[in-house]
Amino acid sequence: MPIEIPKDKWPGSVRQVVLGATAAEGGTRTSKVVVGGETCMPFMHFEGAIPNRPVVALEIRDRRPDDWSPLLVKTWENVIDDPAAWAKAAEEVGADAIQLTLSLTDSAGQPMSPETAVATVKAVLQASGLPLIVFGPGQSEVDNLLLVAVAEATKGERLALGICEDKNYRTIVATAMANDHVITARSPMDVNLAKQLNILISDMGLPLDRVIMDPTTGALGYGIEYGYSVMERLRLAALQGDAMTQLPMLVTPGYEAWKTKESKVGEGVPESWGDWLQRAINWETMTAIALLEAGANILVLRHPESLKQVEAAIQDLMTAPDMVSV
Amino acid sequence: MALSGIQIYKLLPQTNCKECGFPTCLAFAMKLAAKQVELSACPYVTEESIALLAESSAPPIRLVSLKSDGYETKAGNEVVLFRHEKTFYNKPGLFVKVVDTESPEAIKAKISAADRYVVNYVGIELTVDGFAIEAASGDPEKFSAAVKLAREASKRPLILVSRDPSIISAGLKALEAGESALIHGADKSNWEVMAALAQEHKAALAVISTDLETSADLTEKIRGKGVEDLAIDPDTTGLGAMLTFNTIARRMALKKNFKPLGFPIIVFPKDLVAATQAISKYAGFVVIDDFKPDEVYPLLVLRQNIYTDPQKPIQVQPGVYEINNPNSEAPVLVTTNFSITYFSVANEVEGSGLPAWLMVCDAEGMSVLTAWAAGKFDAERIAKSVKGSDLASKVSPKRVVLPGHVAVLSGELEEELPGWDVRVGPREAVDIPKFLKEAL
Amino acid sequence: MKEFTVRFDLGDKAVQVPSGTLLSEAAQLAGIDVNQPCGGQGRCGRCAVQILDGTVRRRSTLRLTTEDVALGYALACQTVVEGDVDVHVPAQEKIERRLTTDLTVAEVRVPSDYLFSADQSIRRVKLNLSEPNMDDQTDDLSRLLTALRQQVGLAPVTVSLATLRKLGGILREGQWEVTALLDTGTEVGEDLQPARLIDLLPGLVADIEPIWGAAIDIGTTTVTVWLVDLVSGQVRAQASEYNGQISRGEDVISRIVYAGKNSGDEELRQLVLATINSLIERVSQRAGEQAQDLSGRTVKAVVAGNSTMIHLLLGIPAASIRLSPFITAVNQPPLLTAQEVGIDIHPEATVDCLPGIASYVGADITAGVHASGMDLSEKITLFMDVGTNGEIVLGSEEWLVACACSAGPAFEGAGVANGMRATRGAIEEVWINNNDLEPNYRVIGGAKPAGICGSGLISLLAEMFITGIIDKAGNFNLHLETPRIREGAQGPEYVLAWKDETQTGKDIAITRVDVDNLLRTKGAIYAGYNVLAESVGVSMEMIEQMLIGGSFGKYINIEKAIQIGLLPDLPWDHFQFLGNTSVRGAYYALLDRKSRERITEIASKMTYIELSADNRFYDAFMSALFLPHTDLSKFPSVNGMFAG
Ligand code: SF4
Repeated sequence: MPIEIPKDKWPGSVRQVVLGATAAEGGTRTSKVVVGGETCMPFMHFEGAIPNRPVVALEIRDRRPDDWSPLLVKTWENVIDDPAAWAKAAEEVGADAIQLTLSLTDSAGQPMSPETAVATVKAVLQASGLPLIVFGPGQSEVDNLLLVAVAEATKGERLALGICEDKNYRTIVATAMANDHVITARSPMDVNLAKQLNILISDMGLPLDRVIMDPTTGALGYGIEYGYSVMERLRLAALQGDAMTQLPMLVTPGYEAWKTKESKVGEGVPESWGDWLQRAINWETMTAIALLEAGANILVLRHPESLKQVEAAIQDLMTAPDMVSV
Repeated sequence: MALSGIQIYKLLPQTNCKECGFPTCLAFAMKLAAKQVELSACPYVTEESIALLAESSAPPIRLVSLKSDGYETKAGNEVVLFRHEKTFYNKPGLFVKVVDTESPEAIKAKISAADRYVVNYVGIELTVDGFAIEAASGDPEKFSAAVKLAREASKRPLILVSRDPSIISAGLKALEAGESALIHGADKSNWEVMAALAQEHKAALAVISTDLETSADLTEKIRGKGVEDLAIDPDTTGLGAMLTFNTIARRMALKKNFKPLGFPIIVFPKDLVAATQAISKYAGFVVIDDFKPDEVYPLLVLRQNIYTDPQKPIQVQPGVYEINNPNSEAPVLVTTNFSITYFSVANEVEGSGLPAWLMVCDAEGMSVLTAWAAGKFDAERIAKSVKGSDLASKVSPKRVVLPGHVAVLSGELEEELPGWDVRVGPREAVDIPKFLKEAL
Repeated sequence: MKEFTVRFDLGDKAVQVPSGTLLSEAAQLAGIDVNQPCGGQGRCGRCAVQILDGTVRRRSTLRLTTEDVALGYALACQTVVEGDVDVHVPAQEKIERRLTTDLTVAEVRVPSDYLFSADQSIRRVKLNLSEPNMDDQTDDLSRLLTALRQQVGLAPVTVSLATLRKLGGILREGQWEVTALLDTGTEVGEDLQPARLIDLLPGLVADIEPIWGAAIDIGTTTVTVWLVDLVSGQVRAQASEYNGQISRGEDVISRIVYAGKNSGDEELRQLVLATINSLIERVSQRAGEQAQDLSGRTVKAVVAGNSTMIHLLLGIPAASIRLSPFITAVNQPPLLTAQEVGIDIHPEATVDCLPGIASYVGADITAGVHASGMDLSEKITLFMDVGTNGEIVLGSEEWLVACACSAGPAFEGAGVANGMRATRGAIEEVWINNNDLEPNYRVIGGAKPAGICGSGLISLLAEMFITGIIDKAGNFNLHLETPRIREGAQGPEYVLAWKDETQTGKDIAITRVDVDNLLRTKGAIYAGYNVLAESVGVSMEMIEQMLIGGSFGKYINIEKAIQIGLLPDLPWDHFQFLGNTSVRGAYYALLDRKSRERITEIASKMTYIELSADNRFYDAFMSALFLPHTDLSKFPSVNGMFAG
C-alpha cells in the first residue's frame, strides 16, 4: 500500500550559534562548536535539514565541589582539584565542549575574586582547545562581578557566558556584546518566561545568534515532564516562525540528575532502586536522552559513561534512516 | 476531526432545558467536546446529530488491551503527537522478556523477581506489566512449557514471540482461559495463519515490518480476516529508524485518520537508551531484555512522567521532607503539594545550603494561592499537618514559616498552633535563600 | 533659503521662518504655547492645529482622521512650513475631543420607549373611597382593597402590618381620597409576585410628582448608587464610594474568609449597608431633597453586584462560594423589602436583587450584559467588566459564555501606592517626554493631583514602557539620566509629581511593586478573555465589537490600553466604553419590567466557564505578564511603533 507521508513544512528554523573562536577568528580554540540551524523537529531528517548535530559538554568546577555525589568525586578524583587538568580529562573522554562553573567562594572559604576567576578560566583555556561555557555561581551580584572580568580577559574567545536571568541580564549581555561572547539565557521551566527573556536580551541589541537558551528542565522523576514539554513547545514555536524562540537550547541534565536522591545517596534507599552507580549513570543518561528527543542542542553532563552513551545516541539519531524516501 | 464546543452546540437542541444535568446546552456541549460526558445524557438530540457526533469522536488509534487474570494493560487511544497538546493517555506496557532456551529455574526466577517488583514513586506503586516469552528453541513443546512456567510465576499478561504459527499455537494453548495475549507476530509470509490463531484465541496480533507500507498492507489484510486488535512493530534496532517509523505512524493515524496505521506500536529496544526513546516517542508496548532494578526503576518513572496529564500536574506526597539534614534548630517551612510548587521550594532551600524541614500540606495539588482561594490551604489544614507530624518533638525553637502569599493566615495559625512561632516567608520561592539567611 | 510668514490667530501673532521649519517651532518663536505632552514625538496628537490657509507638509498625521486632515488639521510637531500659512490654534479640550483614541463613557439616556404607566412595576393610583357610615360598615382595609379592585383592577394586593397601623389615619386625613403606591409585581425567576401595597398617602398626589427609585451596584471595591425618578425615568443623581468592606479584605475571597469568622458576616453586612446608606443620603441631597423625605419616598431599589457581595449584603453565608465546587446559596434571591435588607429608603420599598449565574459571575454581569445590549446583537461581541474581578462575556444573540478572573483592584485605583478613585484630584492621563523623561499629566477637576486613577495608571504604564523607563517585563532601567527614577523604600520607582505640586504634599510615584501589580491585573484580564474565546473556538479576529465596562475613570484611552496589552490590538472603532455597566443594567431593570425579564433570560442562557479548570489560563496569563505581550505578533501596532 503506497503511503504518502505527511511532512511538516515549517516556515521557521533555529538560529545557528557558534561557540569558540579559532586563531583565525581571533581566539585560541582548536575546535569550535556550531549548534542550531535545524528546520524540523528533532531528528525528523525526512522533512527538514539538521545541519549541526547536538553536542555534549562536560561540567567542571573551578575547585573541588562540596556538594557533588561521592560517585562523581571518585570518578574525577585525580583532577578534581585542578580545573585545567579536569578540562583536559574531559576533552580526553570525548566531550565536545567544556562547561566551567565558578564557585561562590574559593577553597579557603573566601569570596571568589575576579582575579582568581580570570586565572582559572585562562588556565582552562590553556589546557583544552575546546569551546568553553562559563557559568557564574548563580548570585546576581557575584555573577556580574566575575563574569565581566572573565569576559574582558577573554575577549574574542567566543565563550558562552551564563547565567542571564530576567532579573539580572543587563550587565552580562552588555559585557558579552562588548567582548564578542555568546550568552546563555536561563528561565524557569516556562515557555513564556523563556521567550520574554530572549525579547529583553534582544531589545538590548545583542544579536540573537549570540544567545543560547536554557529553559531549565528538572531531572527524571523531578519535573522532567515540564521541561520536556516546554522544550517541545519552544521548538515548535521556533519552527512556526516565532523569532524569539529560534535559539538553540542548552540543558544541564548532569546538574539536574546528580542532585537527585537517586544519584546522590547509596545507602538506606529502597532495594528496588537497584545498583547505585548504575542507577546514577542511568538517571543522567535517561534525563539527557529524553531532553535530546525534545530538542536539546547542547547537553551538559557530568559522568564520562553517560557522555559515552549520549554521544552514541546522537550518532545514531543523526544518521538519516533510509526507510523513508524524502 | 474533534469538534469544538460551539460546533457541537449547533448540533444540540439549544433549548437549555437542563435535563442533561447542565445549566445550558452550551455547557453540555463543552463537556462533550472535552469527552467528559456521554451524548446520551441529552434526551433530545436528533439522529442526525448523533451520527455526526459519533464520527467525530472515534479514536484514531485503536485501544488494544491485553488481559489476564486480574490484570489489564491498555495501549492506544492516543490523540496527540505532543503531550502538551492534551495528554498521552495509556502508559506503554513494560514487558520483561524471557527466552524458552533458558533453564526453567532461570525463567521462573527472572519472572518471579520481576513479578514481585514494586517501587514507590511519589506515593505511587509502580510495577512491570507483563512478560514476553520468546521461542528461541524452535520447539513448540519447549515454548509451551515456558509459557506454563510463566503462568506459574506470574498472572500478568503475556506476549508470545515467534513467527512460527505452530509454536504460537502451542503457546496459546498453554494460556489460561479468558486471557488475551499478544502474538508477536505476523509478517508477509505467515499473516494468514497468525490471523486465524489470533481470531481463535481472542489474542491481539503484532505485525512486524521495517517499512510502513508493508505494515499498513498487513494490518489491512488481517483486519479483512476479522482481527481488529493489532499492534505494529518497527522491527529495528536503530534509534533513528524507530523514531522515524513511530512518528510517521502516529502522524498518519492522527492527522490523516489513516486506519491501517492506527494501532499501538510495540518495540523491542536494544538497550536502555532505546527504551527511553520508546517511552517518550509513541510506543504502546515496550519489551526489555533484562530485568535490572536500576533500569526498570528509571524507566517506570520516565513513563509516569511522560504520561502525566499536563493539564493536571502531579501532586507530591504530603508529609515532612528533610532538606540539607535539618537539626532541631532548623525552621519548618510550609508549602502545598502541587509538584511545581514543591520542586521550586525544595530546590531553592536545597540550593541555599541551609537545613530546613519542609512541611508539604495536602492542598489537592494546587499552588499556594489557588489552594488558599479554594479553601484547601488554611490555618486549620496547616495546623493539622504540623500536629500530625512529629515535628513538635523534633525542633526547638518551634518556628513555622508560611508562604508570603498567605500572610493573612498567620494570626489564625498562631491560635491553632500554640507554642509555635509563626513567621511569614517570602512570596516567591527564589527569595527563600535570602530569607533563610537574613530573616531567620 | 526661502522665508515664509506664519500667522497664528491666537493673539494675532506672526513670525518669519525659513522653509522647512516645524509649526511647533514657529509657534514657540511667536511666543505661543502649543501643548506637546509627548515631547514633540508625534505620539500624542495633543499639538493639533488647524491650517486655515497656506502650504505645509505633514510628516505624520497619526491620530488625525482623514476628515480632520481635510478640515486642515495638522500636528504642529510633525508639520513643516512650505509657504505662507495661517494657523488656528484650537483650545486644548477641543482637540482632545477630536482624538479617536479617547473613549468617554457612553451617555446615560432614558430608554426612548420608556412609558411609566406601561413599563414600571411601581404604580401610583388615586383612589376615591366611599365614606363609611352606619349602613356601610365595611372595615378600612376592605374598603381600600375594594377600591383597588374596582377602580384600578388590582387584586389580590398584600398589605403589611406597618401600613395597616397607619391605614385608618391616612384615610381620614385625606378625607377618603388617597394615593396608593403599589408594586404590581415583578417576575422573579419563575413566579409572578402578587401586587403589594407599599405606601398610602393622604389626598391625591399629582401625576408629575416624582416617584423615586434607586439603582445600586455593589462592587467589591466601589459601590455606586443612582437616584432615579421612576415617572420620567431620569437619573437625578449619582454617587459612588469605596465599599466600606475594603478594610476587611481587598478581594472577594478575603471577604468570604473574614465573614466566616467571629460574626464577621454581620460586620461586613453593616459595613456595606453603611456605604449604601451614606450614598443614598448623598444622592438625595444632590437631587435637592431633604434626605429624610426623599429616602422615605424611594419605593424601589434594584441591586446588582457579584454573588459574594449579594450574599454578604443579605447576610447569607458565602463560604460555599469559595470552596470547590463553588456553589452559591442563591443565584436569584426573592423580592425583599428595604426594611428586611436594611437599606434606608422607604421601609416597605421593594428590593430586587438581580440574578447571577455562578459563584464568580454574578448579577453585576447579567445586568452588564443587558446594559451592553450584546444579547440582542448579531455581532460576536466581547464584553468585559474590569473590576476587582475581571468578568468577561462572549457571545451574541445566539449564545453567551462567561468567565471570571481575579484581576485585583488596581484599575480602580486600589492596591497601588498612589492610586485613587476617579474623582477630583486624580491624575487621569499621563504623557512622558521621550527626551528628558519629564511627565505631563491631566488631573480630574483641574486640581492639584492627589493620586492616580485607573485610566491614569493605564496611560502611565504605557508611557513608561514606550519611553524605556521600564522594560517589557516591567523592570526599571536604573541607568537612565533623570532624577525621577530612583530607589524608593519599595525598590525602584518613577516620580510622576514632586511633592510641591501635589495636594498631599508628598511625591506621587509609581513603584516596581505597583508595576507588577498592574501587569498582573492586565495580564489576568487579557488571559481571561483569550482563554474564554479559545475555549469556544472563537479567535480574536472574529470578534466584531468589544464593550468595556469598569470604573477606571470617565474615559479610557484605547491606544494606551492596547499598548500595555490590556485590550486586544483591534481597530479602535471596535471598542466602546460603557463605564459602570452593572449600575446601568440595574437602572434599566429598575425602570422597565421588560428589561428585568431580559436579565432573567440572560441569566438562564449564559454558560459559565471555569478558567482554573486547566492550565491554559495559567499559560495565557504568563504570556500576558509582559508589555504588551510575549507574543509580539499579537500586537502589530505596538510592535510597529518600536520598529518605526
Ligand atoms: S438536555 Fe439537551 S436540550 Fe436540554 S439542556 Fe441538556 S443539551 Fe440542551
